[in-house]
Amino acid sequence: MNATGIPLKEPAVSAAAGDTEQVERAYIDASTRVPVLMFYTSAIGWLILGTLLAGFVSWKLHSPDLLGDISFLTWGRVRPAHMNVMVYGWASMAGMGTAIWLMARLCRTVLRFPLLLVAGAAFWNLGVLVGVCAILLGDSTGYQWLEFPRYSSIILFVAYALIASWAVLMFRYRRGEQIYITQWYLLGAFLWFPWLYAAGQLMLFVVPVQGVLQSAVGWWYSNNLLFLWFGAIALGTAYYMIPKVIGRPVYSYHLATIGFWTYALFSSWTGMQRLVDGPFPAWMITASIAATILAMIPVATVGLNHHMTMQGYFPLMRYSPTLRFTVFGAMSYTVFSVVGVLISLRSVARYVHFTEASIAYSHLGLYAFFTMVIFGSMYYIVPRLVGREWRYASLIKLHFWAAAYGIGLMTLMLLAGGFLQGADMQNPALPFSESIETALPYLRGRSLAGLLMAAAHFIFAYHFGLMLLGLGRTSTVPTFLNPVEAEPSGGH
Amino acid sequence: MKGLVPLFLGIFGTFAFSWLGLTVIPTWQIGHLNPESDEEGTDIYPQPQSGMFERGAHVYAANGCVYCHSEQVRADYAANDIERGWGNRRSAPVDYIFERPVFLGKMRMGQDLANLGARAPAQQESPAPGGAASPAASPGSSATSPAPAASSASSPAAAGGSPAASSSPNATPPLGQRTGVASPSSSQMANASPGGSSPIAPTPQTPGAPWPIQTEGLPPMYSAAWHHVHLYSPRSINFDSNMPSYRFLYEKRRIAGERSADALQLSGADAPLAGWEVVPTYDAKCLVAYLMALNQSHPLKGIRSVGGAPAAGASPATAAQGASPGPAAAASPAAAKK
Repeated sequence: MNATGIPLKEPAVSAAAGDTEQVERAYIDASTRVPVLMFYTSAIGWLILGTLLAGFVSWKLHSPDLLGDISFLTWGRVRPAHMNVMVYGWASMAGMGTAIWLMARLCRTVLRFPLLLVAGAAFWNLGVLVGVCAILLGDSTGYQWLEFPRYSSIILFVAYALIASWAVLMFRYRRGEQIYITQWYLLGAFLWFPWLYAAGQLMLFVVPVQGVLQSAVGWWYSNNLLFLWFGAIALGTAYYMIPKVIGRPVYSYHLATIGFWTYALFSSWTGMQRLVDGPFPAWMITASIAATILAMIPVATVGLNHHMTMQGYFPLMRYSPTLRFTVFGAMSYTVFSVVGVLISLRSVARYVHFTEASIAYSHLGLYAFFTMVIFGSMYYIVPRLVGREWRYASLIKLHFWAAAYGIGLMTLMLLAGGFLQGADMQNPALPFSESIETALPYLRGRSLAGLLMAAAHFIFAYHFGLMLLGLGRTSTVPTFLNPVEAEPSGGH
Repeated sequence: MKGLVPLFLGIFGTFAFSWLGLTVIPTWQIGHLNPESDEEGTDIYPQPQSGMFERGAHVYAANGCVYCHSEQVRADYAANDIERGWGNRRSAPVDYIFERPVFLGKMRMGQDLANLGARAPAQQESPAPGGAASPAASPGSSATSPAPAASSASSPAAAGGSPAASSSPNATPPLGQRTGVASPSSSQMANASPGGSSPIAPTPQTPGAPWPIQTEGLPPMYSAAWHHVHLYSPRSINFDSNMPSYRFLYEKRRIAGERSADALQLSGADAPLAGWEVVPTYDAKCLVAYLMALNQSHPLKGIRSVGGAPAAGASPATAAQGASPGPAAAASPAAAKK
């Protein structure tokens, strides 16, 4: 049995549908080439920049005098620069790239109006660049994930309007009545984001709400950005990639429906738990804690659905890079949510509030969950855009293990360090400085974990660069992580 | 799923629900608060802040102070913020009505700052722009020469030169030393500022104290001049602080004629060469004005204040030291943090 016999590339149904569908799909893929590659290339550029900034931030936290005398390299500026590069530069652009490709595929039509997207990507890059420079030059607004000053937000919003109008137009040209699960999530993300962004900007900068409510709006914004923008894109992508790669339909459509609506309903109510015991009416915080717990319903249904779809096909993770990254990301969604519930419960939150544990939480969401799923989708999509296969299986493996161990170690370090830091902070017999000194070794460990992740990103960027230059393999067989044996352990 | 309409309505509806619930209703509930005043309509709290305060808040935002410092005191049933001396009551929404942006904060890599201004020594309470020379230090003297007379019991950690500082990287011995020195010096603290309402007076050191309390030219803690030294060189005040220094907010210049009044009183390795001085920029002055205006010690209706003591904190020791230690045994100047 040769490698092509293993359904790692196209689902079994396509064989019945015949060659026309294959050809049609190739046309669609070709039409998405320029815009999607543009999004991906920019995203990976931002990823590298964000990684460098992250290393700097992490290092300076335990070596504060490193280049500290230069105003634009001071810790308090580099840190928001890192976050915003990752959130708006890397994650948003990569997510939109994948979303665009998925939209074209699922609407089963060639990508129309590519200029809208090209212009959108260009403006988005400009907006992020202006915003990051503004932060480094000392023009940050001081609200988490909304640090970009207004002139940069406006550019981002224009860019987004172009991209969203493209999505709406594409939807009008779609063929077929059925709207697949992935499209629910993508449509949701494309519609939620502008509302969220506009609401955040309006309520904080244009007609600012009074006093502490600014903090509430800020947390409402950043948590919803995490769930309804990044989370929705990642879940939609996972719903496409997992069935696609293993060639098997999604286990249950009903579960998916329940999962989607509970996700939209509950995860959008989280956020205020990050203000626990703050100067707010208690009901706001309690409502968010309850929503965090209720958000386990979509976690359970989505997790179950993916698990049942994968049942019996887990050994394929040995071969398919896409599957390996995507499943890692989908599993991290569960971990992310469980950790989220744990650190939200009032009894625990009193210990971990104001500690590094919250950084672990956002990295779990944005990296272990979202970024890993998006890496997986890139491993699937890029070969279809450039007409080459990934050149080195070894580089993909290195990328995966460095990223997986890196984020795992980072999460453990930050959670453990955060808990100990919080326990010291809650112990009035200890001076406050003890809590910082307790956390410092873990922060050094976090820096090491960051080195692993940086290695992963550099490897990936190099590999992607090779693909972009047309230096991938010419082959009809995708690059498998391990040589496919005569009788793969999947048993099919 | 068939049909776009239910999908759109659902996407719209769920988000509208969250938007209404978490932003609009709270705005209706606590979004239009007025300052509180007593029956005669005097003693209004809080009051709108100065222009320097606002600019200082932007310097605070621009340099990311909010990523390490919170500005909220949690209630005593939830946390020991009050016991640490970070405030004498929990923070309330009304405390923030004139602030924009609001820096509640989400991380405490540094101390809580909600009542930083309340900890200032009494005669310095008005944020003297530019950290006008502290009364203790003699402004005329060059910064390189320490002014031993300016001894203030509150200067916690030794500067680079002191033997204790050089042995400090090893975590355990300093801890032992701290405990060793704790009782005399913390009682000293207590004497120095009962209730935090009297100025921190120079106190004679306990003879034979094993810890060489660093007294060189540092202004009283939490005075404007002290804030400037701390921002310029955090590790000259706490040798193991991991706060970045903000030297770019200061200007090193040649002394033209008279040494300027707001020049920083630096010592040790930070001191500029003879004939030079370090002065704060306007941004630095605004930042310090902002920090020194942070004060939630004013009592509020319906919120219990601890002890009824004005300003800083539950116990004299914590008041003087700016919050670090709890029970006296663990307290020591060396452990006190910025």
